[in-house]
Amino acid sequence: MTTAFPDQTTDTPADATGYNFAYLDEQTKRMIRRCLLKAVAVPGYQVPFGGREMPLPYGWGTGGMQVTATVIGSDDVLKVIDQGADDTTNAVSIRRFFARTAGVATTESTPQASVIQTRHRIPETPLSRGQILVYQVPIPEPLRFIEPRETETRKMHALQEYGVMHVKLYEDIARFGHIATTYAYPVKVNGHYVMDPSPIPKFDNPKMHGCPALQLFGAGREKRIYAIPPFTRVESLDFEDHPFEVQGWDQTCEFCGSDHSFLDEVVIDDYGGRIFICSDTDYCNQRLDADARKEAV
Amino acid sequence: MTTPNQTRTPKTPALSLTGLCGGFDDPVQQSQQVFRRALTALSEPGTLQTLPAADAPTGIHPAAYQLCLALLDAETPLWIAPALKSEALVSALRFHCGCRIVDDPGRAEFALISPDIDGELTRFAQGSHEYPDRSTTLIVQVGSLEATADWTLSGPGIDGTRKVGITGLDPRWPGMLADNHRRFPCGVDILFTAGSVLMGLPRTTRVEI
Repeated sequence: MTTAFPDQTTDTPADATGYNFAYLDEQTKRMIRRCLLKAVAVPGYQVPFGGREMPLPYGWGTGGMQVTATVIGSDDVLKVIDQGADDTTNAVSIRRFFARTAGVATTESTPQASVIQTRHRIPETPLSRGQILVYQVPIPEPLRFIEPRETETRKMHALQEYGVMHVKLYEDIARFGHIATTYAYPVKVNGHYVMDPSPIPKFDNPKMHGCPALQLFGAGREKRIYAIPPFTRVESLDFEDHPFEVQGWDQTCEFCGSDHSFLDEVVIDDYGGRIFICSDTDYCNQRLDADARKEAV
Repeated sequence: MTTPNQTRTPKTPALSLTGLCGGFDDPVQQSQQVFRRALTALSEPGTLQTLPAADAPTGIHPAAYQLCLALLDAETPLWIAPALKSEALVSALRFHCGCRIVDDPGRAEFALISPDIDGELTRFAQGSHEYPDRSTTLIVQVGSLEATADWTLSGPGIDGTRKVGITGLDPRWPGMLADNHRRFPCGVDILFTAGSVLMGLPRTTRVEI
């Protein structure tokens, strides 16, 4: 009977992926949701969770994707960035993944997004209340390179035994004359837990402090979730005589001329030619659009 | 002459589906919506989150019932205060969530209570300094969350301070909440419900009167 075949396929959902909404099964989502509620209640503490295997390798944002899959709803608008850019492989793949499995609307515009999954940048456009920023985290434990044993780092967090982290920063000063850590720069959340902000440039650290958006962090390989609620104190570790500073550039963005955003250096030829461009593509485009509108008027 | 099946009495009462309180019509979407409001409630303490109206077992607020439906399953032991523990509620939660109902509040991951509990909040799991996440989340049914704002909240999730008014809490509560805040990183997290309205009060929130 050849007519049976089309009948059987008509009751598949419109997106036709065959997966549950946003890929994860409901039991997994409930487990992650309970972890997220605890993460928000103890800001900066890494909550262990039962990380699932995702259809892409560790290191590609499996932790962030599990958090996104858990919080996202059908009325959300998703933006995904990879080092600030909306149009790189990782960002495009993850955006497409949720467009297919959850049927959510996607955008490249920071103000229009309700959930933003990010790899290693915080958007230049200030976030607002109600938005959720989901970070992809490779190594959630800021003390891991100093103390490899989980039992010990757990005790160090319990006792707020963070002197060794200051020693690490001091070693930079002793060797280079300044704190040479430029990304994954450790922060103290709400005056208690020292937290790894994921490998964002330290340029972005000040944006975490008092941010009106909810910040969630997911580490898939290490199976940890942590969070910073809105309007929370986030201090970058430093010394009185070596205060925390962000990096700056002598150049401006080649496209939009921005002198205040995080710039990427791009080599353009074989003769040492190079330009600097905004790492946040949406921010750069917004500025170019605004300029174009001004000229049109 | 007795037949074998007459001599045996079941240990737990048989689950009766007649009169069973309904669950979510669309569990996937509704769980997500309830969770997001709970997440906002705990990340912005003192804000009011309104859940959709829904049926709930007698004596249970629709908000409290929906939180249970969205967050509980076979992995989450639940403790129910004796005053709220009805056959209808236990049947509904056993059917929809499959959660274990425990007798010891110290072993519960979630607890459904009214404000007039016996004893202190330390009856519930507090977590440890190594694992502060292993603490009970309390769902507390109060009279109203929209009363005259006489409490001032501050802490993470609050830009400066936020005023809230909760009725139905006895005079022990400000002291108990202050103790709970002092125990950080240990302590319980609270979701207050009144009808369909929800308010979060995590352990990081400081309460002043």
